[in-house]
Amino acid sequence: MKRWTRTVAVAAALTLGLAACSDPSAEGPTDTTVSWPAPTGRLDGVSLTIWAAQNSNTVPKKVIEGFQAATGARVEVVTIPDPYEQGIQTKVATGDKPDLAFWQPTASMLTAINARSNLQPLTDAPWLPAMAPQLRDITGLLDGTRYAALVTSPAVEGVYYNKEVFAAHGVTAPPKNFDEMVTVARQLKTKGVTPFYEMGADRWATQWWVQVQLADAAKNGLWDRINTGQEKFTDPTVLGAIKKYKALIDEGLFNPDIKTAKFEDQGAALLDGKAAMVVQVNSFFGQLQAKADTATLNKKIGFFPISPSGNVGTFIPDQSNALVAFATGEPKREAAARQLLAYWMGPGYQNFLADRNTVSLQTAVPDPAGVPQALRDVHAALPASVGSMQAQAVANPDLFLNLADMIAGTTTPEQAAKATQDQFAQLAKAAGVSGF
Amino acid sequence: MWFLVPAFAILLVFFVLPTLFNFVYAFTDWSGFKSEINPVGFDNFADLASNGTLFSALRITVVYAALVAVFQNLFGFALAVLLERDTRLNRVARVFFLIPVLMSALAVGYLFQALLKPDGGVNQLISAVARQPFDYAWLADTTWSIVVVALIHSWKWMGLSMLIYLAGLKTIPEDVMEAARIDGASRWRTFWAVRSPLLAPAVTFNVATALLGSMNGFDIVQATTGGGPARTTEILNIFIYRTFGQGLFAQATTMSLVLFLLVALMAFPVIHLLRKREEIL
Repeated sequence: MKRWTRTVAVAAALTLGLAACSDPSAEGPTDTTVSWPAPTGRLDGVSLTIWAAQNSNTVPKKVIEGFQAATGARVEVVTIPDPYEQGIQTKVATGDKPDLAFWQPTASMLTAINARSNLQPLTDAPWLPAMAPQLRDITGLLDGTRYAALVTSPAVEGVYYNKEVFAAHGVTAPPKNFDEMVTVARQLKTKGVTPFYEMGADRWATQWWVQVQLADAAKNGLWDRINTGQEKFTDPTVLGAIKKYKALIDEGLFNPDIKTAKFEDQGAALLDGKAAMVVQVNSFFGQLQAKADTATLNKKIGFFPISPSGNVGTFIPDQSNALVAFATGEPKREAAARQLLAYWMGPGYQNFLADRNTVSLQTAVPDPAGVPQALRDVHAALPASVGSMQAQAVANPDLFLNLADMIAGTTTPEQAAKATQDQFAQLAKAAGVSGF
Repeated sequence: MWFLVPAFAILLVFFVLPTLFNFVYAFTDWSGFKSEINPVGFDNFADLASNGTLFSALRITVVYAALVAVFQNLFGFALAVLLERDTRLNRVARVFFLIPVLMSALAVGYLFQALLKPDGGVNQLISAVARQPFDYAWLADTTWSIVVVALIHSWKWMGLSMLIYLAGLKTIPEDVMEAARIDGASRWRTFWAVRSPLLAPAVTFNVATALLGSMNGFDIVQATTGGGPARTTEILNIFIYRTFGQGLFAQATTMSLVLFLLVALMAFPVIHLLRKREEIL
């Protein structure tokens, strides 16, 4: 009898434990009407937490100083170690949430953090009318609801080139399309220059080469077809781009140490003129800015977007470009978080840009004087550019890993495409996308 | 009896429940993408079985564990034999070989990553000795990097093996050694016919801990290669970490369940076999 009661007690305790451990991020808001407090209203005694990555934790410095002085609130930036997105997803899955966080504002990444349950909708944000019209709705939306505030110009995949190397070998104007770029590369190779530099060891940039080739297809609904299962990564469009990338590598148009080269090496190679071109995103230019001053960069480094049909860029907003506000369940702090965003994109915006020395997203606010020309060119490419896989696909598979495997020589383009498609289907299924 | 309750409560919350959940969540569709968690039966297992990545990660894990078990015991045993006599120099040397055991595994990993870069310290040394440029990428070789990483793992833990072998050597009764000497056995013969067999319990412990510890390895591989080049060093825990980071929590849980079963499946026969060797004592 005694043993029987004990068994029941243990079973009851276990059941209780199980119930207590169900997904803590389960419930969330469904109402999307939002009130916006005045940006500089008093917030004495309120403290807010912002999660940031190692490369974005200094971004809000000036904004926070201004906001604290204007409202009396306290704002703390907590750095989440890399890999940032994984760290955040894990924390949020266990019920740990900040008030605000830097987050990639694409639909796939908003899905990945379960925006509908975890984030505050930012409907009718007060800064939207001030935004440049072509940038207003470029990203940050999931199924028509705004969840992210874009604070800096989103990254664009394109070609960074060394102007001096181009000039020294008689290339007077940047190529007008992908094939022309390959022709220029072949010319440069015959003159003993390494045309392209890729970082096979750090892996993540490998995907840009495939994505820029897909820009025209993306404009014609490639990602919609992939999202609904009508087309696959293994079909000719994507597979063809992967094969072309492989063919260019096999032709010897890339650095010979492509398998072992790292992100750092890539920046040094372009700046020193050891390589002529690098297909990269804005964070690459950030690396160059850490190595050289604006005058040197203006003299040496140029940027042009590229696609098979012309100079069309592929935009890929990243984590340092935008913030999301979490639904913490405490109305006062949730409102304060929205107020901070309104301050950031309102009264604090000019100072923020000056501190970061970056391009303005608002028509009434001018760019600070010291912004390098290449960054202005990147920003200018934005309105005409198309969304990347990250921006338009419902799930974000590790295309870069599969391409890096291909570069290392362990897989074929067909295998890389298949591995990407398999993972895409797995993620889409987990996200509840119909058809997977 | 009741004073045990707090201890058991802690055991329940921090050990029993997580282990139980490891089983429960493997049969659900828990992910970072939505709030509901629904049971899906054996779907996750079927998916994993149909995907080649799991088997390649499992194979790499077993190879890695076997390499570590061999290297760590070879090094540990050799060190124990070399440093057996209690001289002052030997005592100091033992301490130095034990220091890596106490170091953070990530620190060890990053240290070796820096040393083994194509332009790192090791290659500079080789270049200087060989008087010609040498830029082999130790951690970017799709065939040999797994061996290099296993060597690093063994380097970190060999001090512990050394300590246990030393303890084993010290417990060999002096009269047995004396009897061997009186019977006219050479030092070589004594070593192989008397001392080595008497070390069987130490071998059991060392092989089992090295093998099973490295199957659960993560930190050193993550810090040196991160699973690269081309995933040839992607042991199961790195694969799990990557899957979890994708928001595929249920799939990651399923994999860790598979790892748990694999470790259990390997542990029992290995320990049983090694125990059998001890029975002759």
